[in-house]
Amino acid sequence: MDYLISGFGNILNLATLFWIVVGVTLGYVLGAMPGLGKATGVAVSIPLTFYLSPISAIAMLIGIAKGSAAGSAVSAILLNTPGEPSSAPTALDGYPLARQGKAQKAMKMGLFASVIGDFASTLILIGLAAPLASYALLIGPVELCAILLFSLTFIGGLSGNSLTKGMIAGALGVFFATVGIEIETFVPRMTFGLLELDEGISLIPMAIGMLALAEMLIQAGKMKEIDQQVGTMAENYQADDRRVTGLEWRRCLPIIARGSLIGSVVGILPGLGASVGSFLSYGATVRASKTPEKYGKGMIEGVAAAESADNAVVPASLIPLFALGIPGSVIAAILVSALILHGLTPGPLMFKEQPQMVGDLYAALLCASLILLIVGYSGQRLFAKVIRVPIRLIIPVVLFLCCVGAYMETNSLFSIYVMLFFTAIGYLMRKLDYSFITFLIGFVIGPNLEVTFRQSIQILDGRIGRLTQHPIAIVFIALTVATILLIAWIRSPAATPTDRIETRQVGSIQGRKP
Amino acid sequence: MIENFSGPLRGIRALAFAALALLPLSVQAQDYPSRPLTMFIGYGPGGQTDLVGRGVAKVLSDQLGVPVNVVNKPGSGGALAAYQLQKEQPDGYTMLFQTDNVINIEPFTTKRITFKPEDFEYAGMVTAFQQGLAAPKDAPYDTIKEFVAWAKEHPGAVYGSLSPMTKLYMDEIARKNDLDVNIMPLKSGSEVINVLLGKQVDLVLSGGIHYRYPEEIKTIVATTTFRHEAAPDVQTIDEAGYGLSMDARTTLILPKGTPREILEKLSTALAATETDADFKKITAAADIPIMYMDTDAATEEIRQTYDQNKTIIEGAGVVPN
Repeated sequence: MDYLISGFGNILNLATLFWIVVGVTLGYVLGAMPGLGKATGVAVSIPLTFYLSPISAIAMLIGIAKGSAAGSAVSAILLNTPGEPSSAPTALDGYPLARQGKAQKAMKMGLFASVIGDFASTLILIGLAAPLASYALLIGPVELCAILLFSLTFIGGLSGNSLTKGMIAGALGVFFATVGIEIETFVPRMTFGLLELDEGISLIPMAIGMLALAEMLIQAGKMKEIDQQVGTMAENYQADDRRVTGLEWRRCLPIIARGSLIGSVVGILPGLGASVGSFLSYGATVRASKTPEKYGKGMIEGVAAAESADNAVVPASLIPLFALGIPGSVIAAILVSALILHGLTPGPLMFKEQPQMVGDLYAALLCASLILLIVGYSGQRLFAKVIRVPIRLIIPVVLFLCCVGAYMETNSLFSIYVMLFFTAIGYLMRKLDYSFITFLIGFVIGPNLEVTFRQSIQILDGRIGRLTQHPIAIVFIALTVATILLIAWIRSPAATPTDRIETRQVGSIQGRKP
Repeated sequence: MIENFSGPLRGIRALAFAALALLPLSVQAQDYPSRPLTMFIGYGPGGQTDLVGRGVAKVLSDQLGVPVNVVNKPGSGGALAAYQLQKEQPDGYTMLFQTDNVINIEPFTTKRITFKPEDFEYAGMVTAFQQGLAAPKDAPYDTIKEFVAWAKEHPGAVYGSLSPMTKLYMDEIARKNDLDVNIMPLKSGSEVINVLLGKQVDLVLSGGIHYRYPEEIKTIVATTTFRHEAAPDVQTIDEAGYGLSMDARTTLILPKGTPREILEKLSTALAATETDADFKKITAAADIPIMYMDTDAATEEIRQTYDQNKTIIEGAGVVPN
């Protein structure tokens, strides 16, 4: 604690604060641009980390991580093009809100939820890093496999108009994730002899094509309609549409709390990532709601659920890094490099040998949360104007940014081809009313599920009876079975055909079953 | 007018053109480097090779007086970056920093990778990873012999494997001693540490990062040709009688046909990694020993290990996929 207080003393100087502000702003702006995001920010900043002092370098990297997680909500809400895959659920309700003229309300709620989730998760990191990380180690492949299996049931809650179509899209996501070298026998699967596909289809270009470019194609086909809407939006102006009302705060706070918790837990577990956090939080919110049919048409709660979890993942993913020296995410892996570059070894020894360094880091993390609130709040006024820009001016800019973002991930043209391929798939899925959210869930969870399942078979020595040594796994398997039965029970009696009332949203096919 | 040239004049003209064509290259070599260099790294940012590579880039930049831009080109264990390098001009301005395994191991495990030592030039080698078989600290065995005895009594022991090369070690040990070991696939280097700390494996091949956890993890045997600085008492796997030692040395690789003068300049600049304080700080913090080799030694090392590793890997019955 003393170290934390003196840590504030160490970082509250112009130079360090400057780099935190640079990091947060860079992250937020990049996140807000469709196609660009964390990966771009990191690529820009790595060379800088060499020349900065360790604290400044690390503070900047953390700022980028936090900023981009929050900023990606902006493009999700305004343009229906999530800056990061983890903000895809934000767009489900955020974009309809924006089309109802409530863009500023949605963006504010997104930012507040982000900052609260972020701050709560940072506090968990500071208070409980060491004990939590050792608990996380108890979650081995067997437990993780059961947790992932349970996560897949959320496809049921996020399927859009048709459960069957949702499941087809999810299976398609799993299918595309199987491309690449198989992990036990090292046989390449569906790579067509292309070395570029050996390590599988990369999430970033895939998501950019699927989420951003495909959406732009759809919107390009509806330019007139969208521009007309902008006209009506200007006429029906109400003050309440620009801010979050007290009532909305009361409705959203428990959801933000749950989202922060889900995000923190997902962040601590190895290899899950921010997307899983926001999907789970959104799915849980829809399931817990008394009026699940309203989601996908502009429920402010949906934005709060997705964004709080999205941002809570970031600090929590640093827990395994600080406590054990194991990087839990790309940003964490870069942080390891940044620490080592300056002669520091992350891990349990850091607490003993460099307690002041850890204190400084914690102080920087907390400062970044606050700066995120300030940067985000002032940036929003500017970004909100985007919604009044004619769509024909927006589309070319987005196309350009998408290409840059996809290219920068691997510095090769192949990523652009991947992006274009998934643009086509994403376009068809939107036109045919298949949920790309369940596709993403399948794509993200599928490969992890496969690996942990194979690992589990080896650990259990092929004997199912050994599962009794893994009580956590049994609990999640039971939960999975219960959820599936519940879904079957709700859907079966007099399964009413979906009456497809065209929702007012343009471009999005994410209308939920009425 | 030109058509009027004939006989000796034509010969002179041809010579003049040839001289002109040669001129830029030798001038280039003398002035080298006159513009920024580009260094590919065949992994994404944040790994050990990336870390060392960025350190080396800084040393090169200090020594040669031009900026060195690092470009991450991840994919297929560095093979994609190496293929890209083959397409670049052999003028010394584009290079790849990667472990030599992309040339002396990958062709034997992946069918579509067909590199041979003579396909590239080598300016030098910088570090060698301290690869070895590691186990949780409280495991009831300290040597490979003791592990074999323990595994005989405990069929179904779990070994973590990250690649065809790491799987090979346990396949061979199990085959020679008739062991029943379950081979559990792992997907990343950080997962190696995760399963060791969480005690989900009994043995795993680590690239050397496990030395950061002296209180939780111990090394059973070194799989390199040399004993580790971090654990000088631990035998190498050759000393233990298996003949499976393979190294991973970070190497500065250039396109085929890069002029000798340029290679020597780079080689000399690389030698500074042995004395550069910043670089030493990085490698010390990451437990990666510096084992510098100049351009000739590196070229010889690659040639030798290519043949040796081929014998080991083919001898183990690995069929490239």
